[in-house]
Amino acid sequence: MTWTIARKEIVSNLVSYKFFIVLLLIAVLIFTSFFIMHRDFKSRLSDYQVVRPKPGDPIALLPPNPLSIFAKGLDEALTRSFEIGVTGLTVRAGQKSGNVIFSFFPTPDFLYIARIVLSLVALLFGFDQVSQEKERGTLRLMLANDLSRAKILLGKWLGNFLSLAVPFVLVIALGVAFLGLDRDIRFSSAHITRLAVIIALTLVYIAFFLSLGLLISTLTKRAASSIVILLFIWALVVFIIPNLGTLLARQMVDVPSVKALSEKRQQIWAREVLLSIGEGGGGGRGNWAGHIRTISEENDRLEEDYRVKFNRLVRLSKNINRLSPAASFVYAVTDIAGTGISEETNLKREVVRYKNSVVQSMISSVATDSKAKGYPAFGYNYRPLPSVFAQGALFDAAWLVFFNILFFALSYFLFVKYDVR
Amino acid sequence: MANQKPLLKAEDLSKRYEDGVLALDHINLEVRGGEVYCLLGANGAGKTTTINLFLNFIPPTTGTCYINGIDVTKDPLEAKKYVSFVSENVMLYGNFTARQNLDFFAKLGGKRDLDKEAYYQVMRRVSLQEKAFEQRVKNFSKGMRQKLGISIAVIKDAPAVLLDEPTAGLDPKAAEEFLEILGELKGEGKAILMSTHDIFRAKEIGDRVGIMKEGRLVMERSREELQYEDLVKIYIDYMKSEPLTA
Repeated sequence: MTWTIARKEIVSNLVSYKFFIVLLLIAVLIFTSFFIMHRDFKSRLSDYQVVRPKPGDPIALLPPNPLSIFAKGLDEALTRSFEIGVTGLTVRAGQKSGNVIFSFFPTPDFLYIARIVLSLVALLFGFDQVSQEKERGTLRLMLANDLSRAKILLGKWLGNFLSLAVPFVLVIALGVAFLGLDRDIRFSSAHITRLAVIIALTLVYIAFFLSLGLLISTLTKRAASSIVILLFIWALVVFIIPNLGTLLARQMVDVPSVKALSEKRQQIWAREVLLSIGEGGGGGRGNWAGHIRTISEENDRLEEDYRVKFNRLVRLSKNINRLSPAASFVYAVTDIAGTGISEETNLKREVVRYKNSVVQSMISSVATDSKAKGYPAFGYNYRPLPSVFAQGALFDAAWLVFFNILFFALSYFLFVKYDVR
Repeated sequence: MANQKPLLKAEDLSKRYEDGVLALDHINLEVRGGEVYCLLGANGAGKTTTINLFLNFIPPTTGTCYINGIDVTKDPLEAKKYVSFVSENVMLYGNFTARQNLDFFAKLGGKRDLDKEAYYQVMRRVSLQEKAFEQRVKNFSKGMRQKLGISIAVIKDAPAVLLDEPTAGLDPKAAEEFLEILGELKGEGKAILMSTHDIFRAKEIGDRVGIMKEGRLVMERSREELQYEDLVKIYIDYMKSEPLTA
């Protein structure tokens, strides 16, 4: 019975012009996104080829991540150039996007399309599921059979979900196949696995909005009321809560500005240089190796203090934003793609470790008054998928699933009491 | 001749809505196989409420509905296996053809292995034009939709049929055709409970006619009794009479 209803929903969608417009919209948006982001990736890859450090350079620099085509996230921040010096780290721009249009509009990656457009499309599929059946009298006809309300609801949900999910996955598969034709991209099996997980998560996200549509549809008697309420909730979930959370967190955690941090570093540097000159008399450098160590240690303390506060701010923002499933979706997808906040934190930790080893090498060369022949190369491995899940993505994914189950269960309880007259 | 076992039975059935309105007041009625029971009454008399209670769309305040001896409140899904339903002004799925609509509801009614010809036969039986079989329902007239609605009830082939004002808005020819089909169903031994405003057709098709007023079944007459009484006069007299006291 559930499948009979699901099949009816699928056929009903297939014969409606709404479905084809939506399908066309999804296809155009996804292909356009892949095209633009592919160009962006290639341009950043070319930049990387130009600025990549030579062996022995004390520079930490990553090439752009191929999965940033789908979820750019913090990839520009991750691919910045970290130059190591005695004053600490100097962060350069790295491979910034050459497309100035990106400064005016949000990056049109797959994540953006899923977060904004697919969520809206899922609502369009769900908003009238119950109220329209009531309006046209078919709900009474259905319920005049030995058919439970749970089966009707599940059948409708399943039918609409498949109507959306199948063409969506096909379009994505086609797009990825085209991207795979470019030899510069080199999707590894790990990338493909991560992409599959991202697509699965996107389906859960779509399912959430479908469940939300179903829920509101069971709360209203008219489809027109349903769509107005849903648009309000959609704006709240997709735009307002994620931005409000960040603002609120900033009010609650005081983080020093980057400029203040930089000035503090300069002061430490100037003080130690003066002390060194004083120690060494006219032309000497005094105990310069000791001063380098002091500069490095004080900078580390400054960095550590900043990092602790910044991480607290990020954690708080994330937790507030998680009230919105859209935020959870973004965190999970970017973490899985390796372009998320956790990856950046991990990279920074590795860069600091690298910096310490380089500084140690610098101190040794100063102490022995020998010229360093070169420094160790920076190596970074993206966190493996199990670690990504363990460090937050699993929570975000589970949170999305929880919202799905919650809203579907609420729909069911409301539908059981729904007045079909 | 009607069978002895009541396929539809309302026992002391009452319904008071949340707003305090008493829509149905201790109704008792029975419909046996091969019998057509017509419920007459003005708007708000409680006809549709009675049908809604039989279909378990709303719970009764007191009393019980039975379909084929099964308590509708206790085992609604089992009870609904034995009933089909035709409602007033059903729109059906406009983007589906007549056959697709019929196929969907037939499957919900438990008829899973029917072929195209079986659907065509049922649609022919309810006098739906052949050319409409594969047309989208959104282009159908009300009469055509009602015919398709009854074909949904016919294809389920349940022993009891509930009809909620099925002839409302139909032209005389369509209404006449509709009653012919009803007559055939009656001939097959089905128990038919029909709510209607149409006093003339109630007299024509009904084996028994009940008049409802303000939630009460104020009069019930058999076909035999109505041979000697003027149903129109009785009905108008009841409608004109003083409101019933609660």
